[in-house]
Amino acid sequence: MIAELLFATFFGLLLLGIHRKVIARIQRRPGPPVWQEILHMLKFSFKTTWVPNTASAALFVGVVLVAIGIWTAALFVVTSGGSLLVIFAIYMLHKIVEHGFGLSSGSPYGKFGGVRSVISAASEIPLIVSVAAIAIFTKSLLISDIVAYQTLHGPLLLTIPPAAVAMYVVLISKMPFGPFSIVESKELVSGYKTEHFGVWRAGLEICNGLKTYVLLLTFILVFAGGLPFWLILLAMLLITLSLSFVCALSPMLSPYDSVTIQTIIAGLMVAYVAILGVVS
Amino acid sequence: MNEIGGAPLFFLEFGDIVIYFSPFTITLFLLALVFSVFVLVSRPERQIDIAFGADAFYAKVISLSELKFRRFMSIACGLACMGAMVTGDLFDFTLFVSLVGICNVGIVAAVKSRHVQNAAYQYGLVALAGTVPMFAAAAMVAATTGTLSMLELAEGTIQVPLAARALLVLGVMGEGMAPFYAAKAEMFRAPGAPYVIMCSLSSLLIFLRVAEVILVL
Amino acid sequence: MKKQHTLALTLIAAGSGIAASALNMMHILPDWACAGVLVTAFPLFVLGLGLYWMAREGEADIPFLGY
Repeated sequence: MIAELLFATFFGLLLLGIHRKVIARIQRRPGPPVWQEILHMLKFSFKTTWVPNTASAALFVGVVLVAIGIWTAALFVVTSGGSLLVIFAIYMLHKIVEHGFGLSSGSPYGKFGGVRSVISAASEIPLIVSVAAIAIFTKSLLISDIVAYQTLHGPLLLTIPPAAVAMYVVLISKMPFGPFSIVESKELVSGYKTEHFGVWRAGLEICNGLKTYVLLLTFILVFAGGLPFWLILLAMLLITLSLSFVCALSPMLSPYDSVTIQTIIAGLMVAYVAILGVVS
Repeated sequence: MNEIGGAPLFFLEFGDIVIYFSPFTITLFLLALVFSVFVLVSRPERQIDIAFGADAFYAKVISLSELKFRRFMSIACGLACMGAMVTGDLFDFTLFVSLVGICNVGIVAAVKSRHVQNAAYQYGLVALAGTVPMFAAAAMVAATTGTLSMLELAEGTIQVPLAARALLVLGVMGEGMAPFYAAKAEMFRAPGAPYVIMCSLSSLLIFLRVAEVILVL
Repeated sequence: MKKQHTLALTLIAAGSGIAASALNMMHILPDWACAGVLVTAFPLFVLGLGLYWMAREGEADIPFLGY
């Protein structure tokens, strides 16, 4: 289990590094090396660390622990074939973590990052919609059951492509440098993570690595079924590359445009599942 | 029992009211517990703001009386939330959710700022209105099926009317602040991070639980 | 925070995580319990190790307000 955890952290960070490299190459910059995010994590853990004078100390430190803890739990839920609903819950609670990061320091930049995170709550609705669409077909939300269903009936990607698109949008909204990354936009310095420097930031990097790995793994298990391990890693890489293209070629939206577009996508998905529910 | 949130780990029976822990409800319960502990042990942050037109900044400090009231409300909110996460009774669930709504209004209404109080007043009206469809949903379920126990309803022998489910979701949408009342940024940027976090956490948690309840019924 | 405290935190977290995994491999500890221990121990280990390396005991500063 420890090996799994460490592998997930480092592979997730490597994927984020590849993401940065590909974006840079598309924009005709040399870009950082692909292992940059791993170096970043190590670098931050060697930096001088304290809790800002104005911060709510327990919350300031506590959210970092919660951030790593929830995604560690998410990893174990996915690998043990647990309920998709738990993954959905953890994904939504990541919003609380972002809000906590932003508000706990007392910094104005962090505060606006946290507030933006809360107002973009519409980004979660496509996920519950894809969960509902899956439940209509598989009659269960346990990931192990969903994988078993797909070995019998073929990948869900072909059965319910709009649900896969919905979850892909969810992946885009959690990738850095994407059109919906308003929580860490540069006019807010680093958004919600502005004041979490040093070791706190290293913890956040670990959380990001785990989060990327878990979300991509869930996407593959739920929509492509149980593949051999090397093929899963390859699929993760390919999905990351496609996400990098989306992120590199689309500008970051303004906060209200981002919320509007996410709400429209959510509305379309709700309509789709309502039709699916009536038809089946 | 429909194992939508994973196989139930154990049941705690109080007469015909059953509290049950599945991997899903226990995750939510533990998070509510962890954040309630944060509320207990942390002091609020001092928000720094830039004074426009000058090379200066000021910090917003929360007074002790305001701190005590908001901390009390936040802990009450945390307890209500924990109750709503694990209860296996539909009426208890609606009661806990309405308590969460009341506590949320208390947490934000104690802030001494006109903008925050305006937002809190409007949210309070929505939360009050939200209780009507929610209790109506519980009443409809009791009237049509003769039981309020989620475990009995989950067996699928009795059909719960679609209108009851829709009203339940509508009620929770009214009570919860974070997903559907989030555009009121005044409330989420009010000083007092641990307490404000409790508002948004409780609303997300009740929203997540109602998703499970709807899928189980 | 004192260096010794953070070192102790790191070692306790690492020790409990490794012990839980070892017991799990010997089929003494069930999977869910091992996962529970790791979920608590991993974040504490990460922060403890980082703080052991670089935590300062000096005065705190106010947040960044702009250039």
